[in-house]
Order: sequence, then C-alpha cells, then structure tokens
Amino acid sequence: MTIDHPLVHRYLTAFEAALASTAPDDRAEIVAEIRQHIGDAQAAGRTLDDVLHALGPVDALARAYALELAISPRSAPREPRSDRWLKILGLMAVASLPSFIVLTVLGTIGIAFTLSGLAVIIAGIADASGALPGWIRNDIGPAAAIATGAGLTVAGMLAGWGAVAYTRFLTRLVRRVLPPRPAHS
Amino acid sequence: MAPPDTNDWTSQLRRGVLELCILQILRDEPSYGYEIVTTLESLGPLAAGENTVYPLLRRLKADGLLETFLRESPAGPPRQYYRLTADGRRRLAALGKDWEAMADAVARCMKGDRP
Repeated sequence: MTIDHPLVHRYLTAFEAALASTAPDDRAEIVAEIRQHIGDAQAAGRTLDDVLHALGPVDALARAYALELAISPRSAPREPRSDRWLKILGLMAVASLPSFIVLTVLGTIGIAFTLSGLAVIIAGIADASGALPGWIRNDIGPAAAIATGAGLTVAGMLAGWGAVAYTRFLTRLVRRVLPPRPAHS
Repeated sequence: MAPPDTNDWTSQLRRGVLELCILQILRDEPSYGYEIVTTLESLGPLAAGENTVYPLLRRLKADGLLETFLRESPAGPPRQYYRLTADGRRRLAALGKDWEAMADAVARCMKGDRP
C-alpha cells in the first residue's frame, strides 16, 4: 500500500517530468511501478528516505530507463520536420481527389435527396388529405408519392451516412500517418 | 540498496548475467518488480539496484521476452506482474546453455587446462 507522502508525490512528479519523451502509456506504467516499489519497500520496513535515496535522483533513474530502451530522456529523436511535411504532402496528393469526389457527390446526394424526399412525402400526405395547393400537380397519386419520397429520403440519408463514414475513415488514416508529436519538455 | 560489491568487474559480470537470472526467476511463476528485486538481493553478488532492475524489466518487456498483466491487490491499486512469453522461454533456454558453456570454460581455465 502506498502512503501518500508529499516527498513521494514530489519525487514521482519530477520523475514523470524527466520521462517527458517516453510514450504516455509507457510513462504512466513506469511511474506506477516506481510508486508501487516505494510502497512495497516501505511496507517491508524501509524508511522513505532510504527508499528514495536508493532509487537515486530522478534524472539518473529516467536516464537508466532511456539507456535500456535506447532513447534519450529529454531529447528523443523527434520526427524531422521534412519527414512530417512529406507525409502531409503525400496524404494530400493521395486523398484530395477521392475526398473531393466522394464528399461532393455523397454530400450533394445526401442533402438534396433527403430534403426533396421529405418534401415529396409531405406533398403526398397533402394530396391524400386533399390539401395540395393548386400549383403543385401530383401525377403519381399520394401513395406513390409517399413511397417515392421515403425512398429518396432513405437514399439521401445513406449517402449522408456514407459521407460521414468516409470522413471518419480519413481522420483515422491521418491520425495514423501523422501521430500528434510529443510535447516539448 | 546499492550492491554490496561496487567493484567494477563484478558489476560488469552482474550486468552480463542479470537478464538470464531475471528470466530464470520468472520461469516457474509470474512475479512483480519488488519481489524480483528482493530475490536478486538475497542472492548476494547478484544484488542489482532497483534503478538497474526496473529499467531492465521494461527492456525485456519491450523486447517481447516478458509480458505484464495486472493482478488485484488486497490493499491499493492493482499490481503489475511479469511473466515469460514464449520468446522469453526460448531466450532463457538459449542463455542458460550459453551460461553453462561459459561457466564450464572458465572452470577449466581456472584449473589450468591447456591444449
């Protein structure tokens, strides 16, 4: 059991900062393990001073991890700027034309079909209840109008869903190719 | 807990065999960081400091020789345990063989074996 002592908190906070260029998940695990160690050592009867002294300065401990994992503690080999721009240009080259086509087509169909579909349904209902204004002519009868309208609306919503799905896929793809860069320490 | 013998050569030796020993400690059942550290401590010259053992455990995990899992602790947050992976077992077998060969060779050298 870990006793929450200000010294422990300060040590672990400094340690976490010294691990700034480690991946966040790894960093959390490493800090948790050292916290667990401090608790275990105290539970075994060692004094807090002794435990922290044995662990050593946080910079040295972070460096020990970095040496083992062959990354440097505070200045990880950052993705060179040129690499990142190449990736951005590459993505743009590959994704812009398909995106333009897909989003324009699906987007237009989505909006146009849904809106007109709803309008046709309303017209069909109006016709069925005899409330259709004179300047609108329904050649196919109310039932067919409602059915057609429903079909249009469904098609429009499917197209809209397709556009959204494509956008989500593209976002995931971009995130994978261009991961957010680690925070500068 | 600093290793009792800070002699440089002993440190070098210890570094060389530490991976083998950690894998061996985990051969029959999983264990967690502090337990591994104290087991090594109880083995005299193999006592490596916690600031050596914990980073090494992480490296062994990164190399795929160990995997971690959480086990509920009676008091406090779940505890991270280590166990050997299949690759870890293979590595333990290989390192064990190398160690036997080396220990045998050193013994023969110390006895004065000459061709």
